[in-house]
Amino acid sequence: MNYTFHWLPAFRALPDMLWGALVTLEIAVLSMLLGVAFAILLALAAASPYRALRAAAASWIELARNTPALFQIYMAYFGLGSLGIHLDSFVALLAGITFNNAGYLAETFRGGLRAVPPTQVRAARSLGMGQVQAFRLVVMPQMFRIVFYPLTNQMVWAILMTSLGVIVGLNNDLTGVTQDLNVRSFRTFEYFALAAVIYYLLAKFVTLSARLMAWRLFRY
Amino acid sequence: MAKGFGILAAAALTLAAALPAQADKLDDIIASGTLRCAVVLDFPPMGSRDANNNPIGFDVDYCNDLAKALGVKAEIVETPFPDRIPALISGRVDVGVASTSDTLERAKTAGFTIPYFAFKMVVLTKDGLGIKDYDSLKGKKTGSVAGTFEALALEKDVKAWGAGTSFRGYQTQADVFLALAQGQIDATVVTSTVAAAIVKEGKYKGLMMGGDAPYDIDYVALIALRNEQGLLNYLNLFINQQVRTGRYKALYDKWIGLGAAPDLTVPGVYR
Amino acid sequence: MFSSLFETSFSFNDLLFMLKGAGVTLMLTFWAVLGGTLLGVVFGVIRAIAPWWVNAPLGAVLDVFRSIPLLIQLVVANSFKTIIGLHWSPFTVGCVVLALYMSAYCTEIVRSGFLAVPATTRRAARSLGLSWRQDLTEIVFPIALRVALPSWIGLTLGVMKDTAMVWWIGVVELLRSSQVIVTRIQEPLFVLSIAGLIYFLMSFPIARLGARLEKRWREND
Repeated sequence: MNYTFHWLPAFRALPDMLWGALVTLEIAVLSMLLGVAFAILLALAAASPYRALRAAAASWIELARNTPALFQIYMAYFGLGSLGIHLDSFVALLAGITFNNAGYLAETFRGGLRAVPPTQVRAARSLGMGQVQAFRLVVMPQMFRIVFYPLTNQMVWAILMTSLGVIVGLNNDLTGVTQDLNVRSFRTFEYFALAAVIYYLLAKFVTLSARLMAWRLFRY
Repeated sequence: MAKGFGILAAAALTLAAALPAQADKLDDIIASGTLRCAVVLDFPPMGSRDANNNPIGFDVDYCNDLAKALGVKAEIVETPFPDRIPALISGRVDVGVASTSDTLERAKTAGFTIPYFAFKMVVLTKDGLGIKDYDSLKGKKTGSVAGTFEALALEKDVKAWGAGTSFRGYQTQADVFLALAQGQIDATVVTSTVAAAIVKEGKYKGLMMGGDAPYDIDYVALIALRNEQGLLNYLNLFINQQVRTGRYKALYDKWIGLGAAPDLTVPGVYR
Repeated sequence: MFSSLFETSFSFNDLLFMLKGAGVTLMLTFWAVLGGTLLGVVFGVIRAIAPWWVNAPLGAVLDVFRSIPLLIQLVVANSFKTIIGLHWSPFTVGCVVLALYMSAYCTEIVRSGFLAVPATTRRAARSLGLSWRQDLTEIVFPIALRVALPSWIGLTLGVMKDTAMVWWIGVVELLRSSQVIVTRIQEPLFVLSIAGLIYFLMSFPIARLGARLEKRWREND
């Protein structure tokens, strides 16, 4: 082994990296909120009687699921850019991950919707509930229980995907900050190993809080 | 008898074990018959690709010259700017002929030769944005290749200018030009040679020079592993010979052509 | 922009260059899936039958691969192999990291497939006189395969798409080769669309096949 580790500069950079981790978390949370909203719309559109709507939803879902996330983010930045649509690096990354999240979650929600028997909705309607009311009070809570676990999985995915922002010039998330530090002295292993630990802790934080939430929410 | 044989065998083993340790990187390159050079290929005229996607440019020729001097075949390995030193350290290439600025921070990790080229920095912008000189970058969106000499200098000034001015670091030079041409950023700072080449090529519409950037001269060097003194010695002599034999000037005229080839010496100091 | 679609400088050579990149993507996928599946089956069975003191540490280690971005894993592994003096090409590093990454997910798929076989079914098989080995190959394997195969196909496609990240450590695969061409001819939307189309063509038919298998097998249940 012909290498001497320089850990000191890496540890000195820890505060900067933790600020980056905060940006990472911010992007992941935003992309999940937006992703869930779009996914519900997509799942509803995929089940709608209108063919155009179904086709639009299907193309979104298939494109999101059958091309790399890295490609989607690159496209959101440089592809849209050549059409004159200028997204900031942050927005492009957010848009790319949201697009991806929505595609995967739409499938999850579709499964969740299917798991609630239509007879229940009919029962709710005959009890005098409106369509929206029946969806909100009868379908949603049951669906939420089914999709909760895939949802937390997707949240972890979203955190991992934020690391791709560095490709479109993002330099204030965890990977961006780490790469910025790395390209000054090229002590690649030290900086990125530290980043790996922070990502791991972030992912664990999300799974543990989700477990805690599930325990509180789904107790009978 | 048996004992004598044992001693002999031990001596032979020691000798065999000691021999390979003598061979350094320079020997390895000569023995392998190939010199693998890291070159940046989105950085014309130093490195780019022709219509058949083959590497061309000043750095490509420089690597070929070096291989010829060593009596081996040259292999060009494309590395985006931030990947040059990782490629070297991870053993993907033997030397970097990649316009690498000789910063002290980098020298903690990689070994630098004497300068083989020198750049002046200029502002590159798009017409219609009203950027005429370096100071008018205030309040604009800027960007450059993460970690390069000019990126570090620009980012420092952007921070000093405060809110309103932004800086984005990209991973390849091509992405910077693309972002500039598309309007994601308003201006970048690049070497005068690449700026001249890009404007002349006309591939990116509306790009124009926006005046000199008030930075020090950016001396760039060849890079090799930090502990390979034998190779670094050879490279230093090679650079010296390139200038001495007029090959440096010939390559300059072939690829850049404007004015005289930059002086590679710093007045008032050795080396 | 539209004129560029018709007067493109994109040549047949460029298409070949990108298809070569797609070939690298497929080779990476092949080795990663092969290694990842073999490891995943071994780890998955261990996780299904081993006592907790083997199971818990193995699960924790594999969980690390699922909790760190692949990009970071690639960079860390690539610099680490240099530090310990391994002379691996970036392609090899990419294959190894992707295989480990895949094995972490594959383990869980195999394990849940294994555990999906009801203990009563296995007890019934044993009481009918099947040996332990016969029970595994004749009873557990076919049932577990049905449960696991659709997820495994999904995972394989996921890994194929994730190979795009190995350009960071210097492998010229499909996405990187399209970037090379964008650099030269400056038609990002057009070239990237072709790259996207190639990815889509490599992924979509197999995804459809997986969905069909899943549906057909469910109907037979």
